[in-house]
Amino acid sequence: MFLRLVADSFRRRPRHKLLTGAALALGMAVATAALSVSLDVGDRLSHEFRSLGANLLVTPQADSLPLEIGGVDYRPVNAGAYLPEADLPKIKTVFWHNNIIGFAPVLEVPVRAWTKSSETWITPIVDAPATVVGTWASHPVALSDGSAFSTGIERTNPWWHLEQGRWFSDSAGECVVGTKFSKRDGVKLGDTLNIEGPSQNIALKVTGIIASGGPEDDAIVAPLAIAQQLANKPGQYRRLYVSALTKPEDDFARRSPGTMTPDELERWSCSPYVSSIAYSIQQVLSGADVRVIRRVAEGEGRILTRVRTLLGLVTFAALLAAALAVGASSAASVMERRIEIGLMKALGAGPGMVGFLLAAEQLLLALAGGAMGYGLGILLARLVGERIFGAAPQPSLLVLVVIIGLAGGVTLLGSAIPLRRAARYEPAPILRGE
Amino acid sequence: MMTANRPMFWRIVRRLLIANRGRLFVIVLALSAGAAVTAALLNVQVDANRRLTTEFRALGANVIVAPRTAAESSTLDQGLLEQIPASAEGQRVSAVTYLYLVADAYSPASKNATHVVVAGSSAARCDAGAKVAVAMHLQVNDKLLVRNQQREESCRVATIQSTGGPEDNQIAIPLDAAQRLAALPGRVSVIQISVAGTPRAINNYIADLARRLPDADVHGVRQFAEAEARIYNRISGLLGTTVVVVLILTTLCVMAAMTNVAMERKNDVGLMKAIGGATRRVLRLFLAEAAILGLIGGVLGAAAGIVLSIGLGKAVFGVAAKPRLIVYPIAVTLTVLVAIASAYPLRRLASVRPASVFRGEA
Repeated sequence: MFLRLVADSFRRRPRHKLLTGAALALGMAVATAALSVSLDVGDRLSHEFRSLGANLLVTPQADSLPLEIGGVDYRPVNAGAYLPEADLPKIKTVFWHNNIIGFAPVLEVPVRAWTKSSETWITPIVDAPATVVGTWASHPVALSDGSAFSTGIERTNPWWHLEQGRWFSDSAGECVVGTKFSKRDGVKLGDTLNIEGPSQNIALKVTGIIASGGPEDDAIVAPLAIAQQLANKPGQYRRLYVSALTKPEDDFARRSPGTMTPDELERWSCSPYVSSIAYSIQQVLSGADVRVIRRVAEGEGRILTRVRTLLGLVTFAALLAAALAVGASSAASVMERRIEIGLMKALGAGPGMVGFLLAAEQLLLALAGGAMGYGLGILLARLVGERIFGAAPQPSLLVLVVIIGLAGGVTLLGSAIPLRRAARYEPAPILRGE
Repeated sequence: MMTANRPMFWRIVRRLLIANRGRLFVIVLALSAGAAVTAALLNVQVDANRRLTTEFRALGANVIVAPRTAAESSTLDQGLLEQIPASAEGQRVSAVTYLYLVADAYSPASKNATHVVVAGSSAARCDAGAKVAVAMHLQVNDKLLVRNQQREESCRVATIQSTGGPEDNQIAIPLDAAQRLAALPGRVSVIQISVAGTPRAINNYIADLARRLPDADVHGVRQFAEAEARIYNRISGLLGTTVVVVLILTTLCVMAAMTNVAMERKNDVGLMKAIGGATRRVLRLFLAEAAILGLIGGVLGAAAGIVLSIGLGKAVFGVAAKPRLIVYPIAVTLTVLVAIASAYPLRRLASVRPASVFRGEA
């Protein structure tokens, strides 16, 4: 009898049910979209922040003081210490290797460069002191598990734009030049640059022109191997930039690992704080000094924390609006059934029975509407995610559970107030139409 | 005819509002909730955009003024600083000038000279970089002597900085001391400017500055500019989308409630039509009712929303969001529009036939 009543109610007033169901589904779709986007957005934003560039800098421990002005190191090649390139794959063996999204070794060599103006090298049109920045553009690093990890300056410094041409290939005698260098010295794509280094001369083909807004605009960027050859420092580099996904630092993260209890040390090293990643890299690279680039790491941490709170609040607002919409529509759908309730009561149904019947109907609707809303919401989240972040969030089962629960809870809550009033109805005046 | 009917029109509207208190209360509640969320989000959005751009300045200077030639020895005239506009679209601009030179430094602990980069900065302090401090065994409050050729300057180390940047390998001294050391009075190597603002405002500022300083090389720090623009656009887009979605939800919610109202009003409309009310006037009656509901909901909700956003701003940015008066009328207008749009189901009343209503047919 109970089931028949419920089924009958759906059959008899399909338009009403459809309308309430649609409101429910739409509300839940918004809730689903808000939840999935905000669950996904944290990771996406951390990745986005990595376009700020490397947040860790590795230099030799035994180094002399760099004489660096405006990003150019004026030390002679034979001053200071170097680090071995062969150690680099070890970076991907640290505990946080999945968080390390890129690294690039750099070796700078002061050189003289000229292009040939004619068939002879005797009358150069350009003869300028310049810097060769040796690095990886996109270099496969063989890892211990047999796979290759492709990394280089393109990953750590994504703001280096190729204005023309392409990046050099790591094994060829090629280079790219900074835009200011190219303008000042009239170097064009396809030119051959003749480079006189401290220990030998090399001719490089210009394959591209880059703009970085930094000192590289005035430099020649070449494969690391070429710079090593020029400086006669085979297999060595001077600086390493590491870009790692990190958790914003809090007070706990800023403590020195030396002062922690074993428990605290474990908790510290099991959180991807930038300082604990620095610590773990320091452990695998012998003779290296790993420093956090504070400006980037702290700026990133601060903004990320704020943006996350902001997004949390926005999600909450969207959930609240969705809950209100659903609650209001289910309240309205109970209110309009006063006459039916009056009739049921006149026929001897108790308030409990009436409430139970209506609640069952609402729950059924919530279930159907919630499930439909979830499907719709995933589509909406995909749309929003793609438009704003360029990638769709993965559908998550957790969201489905939360949404069905929310739909049920909100409809019941929305119906509860009119149901309580309905319980007090006197059947006679209602049936008289008063 | 219209003038005589106007008091009657409003009387009917008033009766409509009072007679349906319970139902209309739900509608007003939904509308004001929508208005509150809209106003709060709009206010937070305006504020968040501004705050984010300020927050980004934690990353450091984003505009660099340097000499045109990149050689080690070229410098700029310090007087250029006065030509730098002090504000960009209402946001404060701060500029710091630097003069770099390589000099010999002596500390009390080390007898030998250390070759080091000395940065004279207009943010006059005496700081040693972390790496310099290690190399020279310097401690806070030590007396530091810097010598370039025959000229000498000394100062007491105020702090030892560890930034992870080139500052770690430098000694920072006041600008005038560095100028005396280098024998370059009134010259600077570089001006670093920190401009808060939207990516577009910063670009305009750079273009403007480049026009004002034709002899210098003015460029933005790409490293931060691009990431900032990307992050800014994403967050702004997300907030905007949420506002739109909340408004759509409010519309739907009120629409659902209005459908029920429309069904209940069949009898009223039948009666009105039977005694000669034109369909258009009857509809106008309901639209007026919806607009009044929207106004009430909007006025109450938007006020609540603005109060809410002050709290939200505090929670997110640690600083209470400034209530922006422009948000209030916008939120109220949006709510009224939403209310009128959601009166769409009432259009069905136009097709009500009085006779069938009175016969008791559905």
